[in-house]
Order: sequence, then C-alpha cells, then structure tokens
Amino acid sequence: MSLLLQSLVLGVLLGGLYALLAAGLTLYFGVMRVVMIAHSAFLILAAYLAWWFTSETGLDPLLSLVLTVPLFFAMGVLMQRVLISRLRPATLTMMSVLLTFSIALVIEGMLGFAFSGTQRRIRLDYGGANFEVFGANVAVVKLIAFALAVVSLAALFLLMKKTQFGQALRATIQHPEAARLIGINTERVAGYGFGLGLATAAIGGTALALDSTFYPSLHWHWIGPLMAIIVVGGLGSIPGAAIAAMVLGMGQALLQIPLGTTWAQTFFYIALFATLMVRPQGFFGGRLAQRF
Amino acid sequence: MKTPYRVAGLALASCLALTACMSSGAGGDSAEDGDGPIKIGISLPLTGDFSEPGKGVQRGYEAWADYVNENGGLLGRDVELTILDDQSNADRVAADYEKLINQDGVDLVFGPFSTRLVVPAAQVAQDYGFLFVEPAGAAEEVFTQGFDNLFYAAPAIADDHYDYLADAIEALPEAQRPKTAAYAAMDDPFAMGTAYGLKSRLEEMGVETVVDEVYPPNTTDFGSIAAKIADSNADVVVGGTQYQDAVNMIVALQQLDYQPKMAAFSTAPTNPEFPEAIGSKTEGILSPTGYTPEADYPTNQEFVEYYTERNGTPPAEDEANAWTTGQVVAAAVEAVECASPDPECQSQLIDWLRENEVETVVGPLTWDEQGRPEGAHLIQQYVDGKIRIVLPEEAAEAELILEKPAW
Repeated sequence: MSLLLQSLVLGVLLGGLYALLAAGLTLYFGVMRVVMIAHSAFLILAAYLAWWFTSETGLDPLLSLVLTVPLFFAMGVLMQRVLISRLRPATLTMMSVLLTFSIALVIEGMLGFAFSGTQRRIRLDYGGANFEVFGANVAVVKLIAFALAVVSLAALFLLMKKTQFGQALRATIQHPEAARLIGINTERVAGYGFGLGLATAAIGGTALALDSTFYPSLHWHWIGPLMAIIVVGGLGSIPGAAIAAMVLGMGQALLQIPLGTTWAQTFFYIALFATLMVRPQGFFGGRLAQRF
Repeated sequence: MKTPYRVAGLALASCLALTACMSSGAGGDSAEDGDGPIKIGISLPLTGDFSEPGKGVQRGYEAWADYVNENGGLLGRDVELTILDDQSNADRVAADYEKLINQDGVDLVFGPFSTRLVVPAAQVAQDYGFLFVEPAGAAEEVFTQGFDNLFYAAPAIADDHYDYLADAIEALPEAQRPKTAAYAAMDDPFAMGTAYGLKSRLEEMGVETVVDEVYPPNTTDFGSIAAKIADSNADVVVGGTQYQDAVNMIVALQQLDYQPKMAAFSTAPTNPEFPEAIGSKTEGILSPTGYTPEADYPTNQEFVEYYTERNGTPPAEDEANAWTTGQVVAAAVEAVECASPDPECQSQLIDWLRENEVETVVGPLTWDEQGRPEGAHLIQQYVDGKIRIVLPEEAAEAELILEKPAW
C-alpha cells in the first residue's frame, strides 16, 4: 500500500517535470510546425549553465534563471530569425528536423568541449531533504521542479490564450498574409514565439539539474519520450501536453511496480503507437492543432 | 646441346636473382625489425556512451608508450600507437581492428574499453591469430565466446569483484549477517556481473533477495526503483552501476529516507567526482576496485610518479588497466623476442602468457584457459570522508565499517 502511494506521489512529481520539459516542444511543433530536435539539447545546456553558475558563485541554481531565461529567449528569437525563417514553408517541417538536429550536435559538442564529458551534478544542501505526507516521502527538489512546472505552464497558457501577443502568434501561424494585413509584425511575432519556447527550456533544464546527473549526450535520452508526450497530448496544446505528461509519468511510475523498469519505459512508446493508430491528432489538442 | 646450357644458365641466373631478391627482402625486413617502431593498433570509444572511460584508457596507453620510449623502447625499438575512435559502436570497433591489422599492418593490437566492444574486437583479432590483451572486458560473457587469444589485464572478472566482501560477511557470526538484500543493476554485462556475483554468494549464505531490478542504460528517473528498494527495507543494497545511475539512485534513496545497513555500488564511488556529487553522505559506501595508486606492487610507484608528472593527476583505474595491458604485452614480447603480425610470433606470445605470471601495477597476474585473471578486487569504503581500502585485511588502510552510518 505504501509502495503504491509512494509511486503515485513520485509519478505526479515526475509527470510535472515531463510537462515542463515538453511544453516548449508542443509550442514549436504544434504552433509553428517546427520539429525541434534540439529542444532537449537546450535543456541540457540550461542544466550546465545552472551548474556552472552555482559552482562559480556558490548561489542557488534557481537564481541562474534570472540570467538564463532572458538569454534563452534571445537565443530563440535569433535562431528563428536567422535560421528557421529561411526554411521554405513547404518543406519547413522536414527541413527543421535536419536543421535542429545539427544544432543539437553543435550544442552537445560545445558542451563537451567547454565542460568535458564528465558527468556533472549540482550539489545541494537540500538535495536529499524530504518530508512525509500520509506515509509517502516527498523530496524537496522534486517538489520545486513540480512548482516550476505549474507556474511556467500556467503562465504560458495564459499568455497564449489571454494576451494580444498570444492572439497575434496564433494569427501569424494560421494565415500570415491576413495577419500582416491587420498590422501584425509577423516576423517579429514568430521570433518571439520561438524565444518563448526556448525560455521554457531554460526553466526545464534548471529544474532537471536540481535532481539529476547530466552529461553532454544526455539529451538523446530525453527527446524520444518528450516527443511521445506532445504527440499523445495533441500537437500545439499546452494543457494536452501537461495532461499527457502527467498520465505517462504516473503510468511509468506505477507500471514499474509489477513490470520492472525496462518494460515500464516502453509504456511511452506503446502510448505513442496507440495514439497514432486511434487518434493521430492526439487526445487533447486535435482541434487546436488543425486550426493553428 | 646449346639449349640445355642456356636453360640451365637462365635457371641459375633466375635462382641467383631470386635469392638476391629474397635476401634483400629479408634484409629489408630485419632492418625494419631492428630500427623501425613497433606499431600497436588500438580502437577506443573516444566519443559516445563510453567516451569518458575511453579517454581514460587512451591516457593510460599514451603514458605507457611514452614511458617505454623514454626507457629504451621494446626490444630496442620505439613503440608507436595508432588509436582510432569507434564511437562506442560495436560494428565500428570490429571494422577498426580489421583496418588496423589489414591496411595499417600493425605489429600488435591492444583491446578497447568495455565488454560490449571487447567481444567483437577480440573476434577480429582471433580471426587473424593476433594476441588480444584487453583492459576492460570484465563480464563473464567475454570469456565464454571460445577465444583462445584473449587475456584480461586486471585482477578479476566482474563476478568476482565482491569476493572479499562476501568472504567478510560469511566470516560474521550468523546473527550479525544481513537478512535481506536488494539488487538494482544496469542492463550491462559488467554492471550486472558485479551485482549478481555478490548476489549468488549472499544467497548461498541464506540472505534473502527482496528486490531484483534491472534497468536500461538510458534510465533517467530512479525514483521508482528507489521506492521499491525503500519499501522492501532491505538490510543491504547492492547497485550494479556505472556512474550517473549510482549517483541518481543514491540521492533517490536518500530522498525516500531509506537507511540500509550496508550499501555497495560498483564503479561510481571510486570516481573522484562521486563525493563532489553526493556531498557528505558518502560515509560507509562500499565499492570494489581493481586499482589504487597507493598499492605497493613493484612497478606501481614508478607508474604513479611518471603518470602524475605527465598528466598532473594520479592515474585512476582505467588508466591503470591500460598501462597494465601495455605491461602484459611488453612482458610477452620481451620474453619471446618478437613483435610482428606473423602468426607464429603471435601464437608464441599467446602461449607465453598462458604459462607465465606477469608483474603489473595491479599486482601479479595469471590467467586461466579462457583468459580470466585469477585474482580478486580490493574492497574500498568511504571512511571519515575518504575512500580507503578496507578488504582484504592485509592490504587494508582502514577498518571495515559493518553498520553503515545514516546517509
């Protein structure tokens, strides 16, 4: 019983982290039709920057967000304007795979060059700290990561739905010409949209760095599950990605009890195949994905 | 009458010419044997999954080659290493050794890092009749492939790594022995070998296995595995681990407030990064190790001094095993006085190693028919914040802590 409860708690916390890590992907993919293979490489980059920040200054890695979020936003804008916007719309999706694949390799190589391939971990005084709720232990670092996820996803959702920028971004994707006619600076808006996606990578990478060991090639382990999450959730839907992440995270944690780690991991891919067979547009974002 | 003479004359002239050619060819060869460098071919995982240990092995090989060259070479000839990058890829490593032997015409080969790469590489060496001494294929499956050219240049195979610890537990009075044990191992022949070697010893003693978990190498989340182990509340936790999995698992176990009486993990704790990552909570963690710079084997001190001066840091296990590989091959080469791709020379080298003991930086080594070294690993433990040898007693730097303090 306590194992079940403990796994449930771990599953929820893990699901929250997955949601945060996948949020940016669903934004580029669903909204801008860009397959961003380098997203997880940027996560690892943010993790390294948080580690570097902490080892240089001795301050809490969460404070590095003050620097990395604007930095990643700027990098995103730059990347969209300089690279992605040059791809022809007709082949955008396919070519963006190649382009961002190469970016991922460049980031991996640079990280290896700058920080070596040694596995790094941020040592936190509260790394092992935990408290008990109804017999289940909740790790403080996992809870922080979860809170970061909730705040960022809520902010992203409100931004997309309630602000003029969100409307402008959606309009830009739906019909660029019409958007320009009504006075939207579509190039700038698309750049900002991409920057926003990368800003979530800065937060996600820092959350990841709180509770795991990382090394330059770690991003290859992440991109598959994250892609599965956004497809199951429905491309372009931030709530969809969040719900899918939660379901898959919990499913993985719970299935681990009877099946063991190896089979529990295949749950992601079984969910992915099942989604593509039954409901290829995803479970939550179907209409959104078509409209955007 | 004329014709036979002519034919005979022609035949004689041809013979002379041929002999001249042959002797000049042989002369050229022997000149090369005497002066040219001995070429040693190696493929290592310099990029990809095993790049860290791969680079460690590279440093060890290069240091060994420099040391040999500074000290008069091998059979009076310099050694020259050709190191290729196999990208941690098993197909690639086989192709690399093909190339080294066939195209580059190397005189000797040294092994790559890790079981998964050693097996295909050893197969190629076997096909060409080459001696194959390797620094890092410790899993049982390396020795069950029927290789007769392979020697593992380290004290013990994976399954025997914990032998001293198992002996120590066995020596305890029954009441003090642990009752239950949890095992979590990476799906990797080496990592699983270490954990399951101890598992079979403990099970023989009647220690009950309460968790037995195997996880894939790309596992990123250890919360669920830790939850299972914590729920079992096992007396002993044994991790068949490499590096990041051990660190993540230990932190996840701490987060769940699980306090085992004994915790043993392979590989990671001997890594200098380990205490940095785990902080002050390392006390009492056990780990087998095949090498320590402090060991007083005859050649070790010189190795540590030379290596430290050359690279700035003392050598770790990967570097030491690479150096050991060099020592083992060098000992055979000096003994049979040949170093060439010629099958006869290679088989002499192989035969010599079968029968003789080699003095190395990890101690004197001998091998069984399949190339298993016949020693055991030292057991290290974090005592007062530093990793020290605790077993066997004659080599111990500190006393074994049987009841692990809380982490």
